Amino acid sequence: MSEVLLEVNHLNKYFPLQRGIFRRSAGAVRAVDGISFEVQTGETLGVVGESGCGKSTMGRSILRLIEPTSGTIKFAGQDILALTDSQMRAMRREMQIVFQDPYASLNPRYTIFQTLSEPMEIHHLYHAAVRRKHVESILDRVGLAPSYASRFPHEFSGGQRQRIGIARALMLNPKLIILDEPVAALDVSVQSQVMNLLEDLQQEFNLTYIFIAHDLSVVKHISNRVLVMYLGRMAELASSDDLFADALHPYTRALLSAVPIPNPRAKRERIILRGDLPSPANPPPGCVFHTRCPIAQDICQQKAPEWREVKPNHYAACHLVAL
Amino acid sequence: MSNILDVELLNVEFNINGNYYHAVNDVSFHIKPGETLGLVGESGCGKSVTSLALVRLLSKSARVTGNVLFEGQNLLDLADNEMRKIRGNGIGMIFQEPMTSLNPVYKIGAQISETLLLHRDISAREAFVQSVDMLKKVGIPRPDEIMDEHPHQLSGGMRQRVMIAIAMACNPHLLIADEPTTALDVTIQAQILELMRDISNDFGTSILLITHDLGVVAEMCDRVVVMYAGQIVEQGTVDDIFFNPQHPYTRGLLNAIPKIDARSKQRLQPIEGNVPSLTRMPRGCRFSPRCPHVTDPCKMQSPELFAVDDTHFSRCWMNEKREI
Repeated sequence: MSEVLLEVNHLNKYFPLQRGIFRRSAGAVRAVDGISFEVQTGETLGVVGESGCGKSTMGRSILRLIEPTSGTIKFAGQDILALTDSQMRAMRREMQIVFQDPYASLNPRYTIFQTLSEPMEIHHLYHAAVRRKHVESILDRVGLAPSYASRFPHEFSGGQRQRIGIARALMLNPKLIILDEPVAALDVSVQSQVMNLLEDLQQEFNLTYIFIAHDLSVVKHISNRVLVMYLGRMAELASSDDLFADALHPYTRALLSAVPIPNPRAKRERIILRGDLPSPANPPPGCVFHTRCPIAQDICQQKAPEWREVKPNHYAACHLVAL
Repeated sequence: MSNILDVELLNVEFNINGNYYHAVNDVSFHIKPGETLGLVGESGCGKSVTSLALVRLLSKSARVTGNVLFEGQNLLDLADNEMRKIRGNGIGMIFQEPMTSLNPVYKIGAQISETLLLHRDISAREAFVQSVDMLKKVGIPRPDEIMDEHPHQLSGGMRQRVMIAIAMACNPHLLIADEPTTALDVTIQAQILELMRDISNDFGTSILLITHDLGVVAEMCDRVVVMYAGQIVEQGTVDDIFFNPQHPYTRGLLNAIPKIDARSKQRLQPIEGNVPSLTRMPRGCRFSPRCPHVTDPCKMQSPELFAVDDTHFSRCWMNEKREI
């Protein structure tokens, strides 16, 4: 692993709030607030956080499926926020996404062949005969019989549909795939099939993944590095091993301690967080986590913590983490 | 002490295109007072259908047979109005999605009081006081104000607390919780599981906990029933299931999940194939098409639940010889 494939700097996405019949501007939901990170070629970056933390919005902003408010995104050295719509469309050959719900993300009126060949049509790639061959080879690669190409989505189980979703993302031979909760809707036995498939494909095609999920065990399993988000902001970023062995941010610690462990004799020192997630339209002042933080001090209410490298390659945004 | 719940040979059949198919097949289990029993399995295994059949919430078109003895009374024999006296009173229920279980147009206070007024001979004023008290017990901040709010004003975790308050309002002896934390974030899940544990300890309530999450099972349950394709495939204490699993399906499930406390990165061992559909059940053992240890007899004849020991049962031919 060497070169940087994706570089995100100070990415913000604010959704404006409007009130009343005149649609007066009434502040904004700061769904993604000051996110910066790099992803290297062949790497898997896991992104975790609870619902509403902005992880999906961030994933979509990177592909410009949602237009970011500000910041820069460099993909393979090119600033993609400067691209025109048609340039961006061409760029999406290189960057693809797999969604959570395999039922909602496939067109029910399209055969699998239509769904899988559409990206090639849009990008004017190959002749018809070559397209069919390509569809069949990718289907085979994701573990589905090539003859399934003539079937419709309703004929498949959830796990098979997710394989189709992955096949669709692979059609144009991308470099980066953003996986947004790809296994959350699947049963345990099928989830592991899809996880193994993703790992194999990464090896074979030298893919780079951004793996967005709320399930920490799954993220730990698949990621090289993990970014923890809270209320649109970065809480902690470290290598997967480091993060799970030595979490620094109190939110990460609480999150890790809350995961139920499938071992009835496991020792648990649970940190139960009080209260609920604050609204991202009205985030708390200072550190956004201070309202639920078990170790919050006065400074946390007054000043937002800086993002700093606490240990080599281990970053956290917390006043109270010792240097 | 006798059991709170005895389920004997419960069968549920659904009519699909004129034919009846078994969604639940000869399911028998019991729950002792104060005990938490986990009902585990993947989607379509019949765990939710089982729970709905127990409290007779399935549509009339479903054919339900067997015995469901709740404190000695067979619920399947009761008249509709007698059954209504049990639901929410002797048996409380919470479901996965708190938003769809609560009525969006009624205030929280009215929804809790409704249960109390239906089952207790008390005034509206008293019901209100008891409802506030219940909200306090489930850890809702500002209970007096929340009584006056509507479900959409609450977060997911708060709604699930309200659901628990409603389910526990009449101090039921049995609480049926169908995936109570699946829709919640982990930190909120931890809060709700803690609350359920406290309720079980403080009130002595027995809990039937239906879930697909083996982590939740390990934390909450005393005994576990594992279901696959409408049948119980393994049943035992939580230690039996996690430390001495017998059925290949149970073992497969345990091996398939990534472990957060794993030291080194190992490849996951999935269970190949898919869950069979209701209309196309395999002959013989229902797990045989996906089983790594399948032999010819497995494909011919369905095994029964063999006893591994006094508390531990497994529906696999490999456990047959142990039965003497």
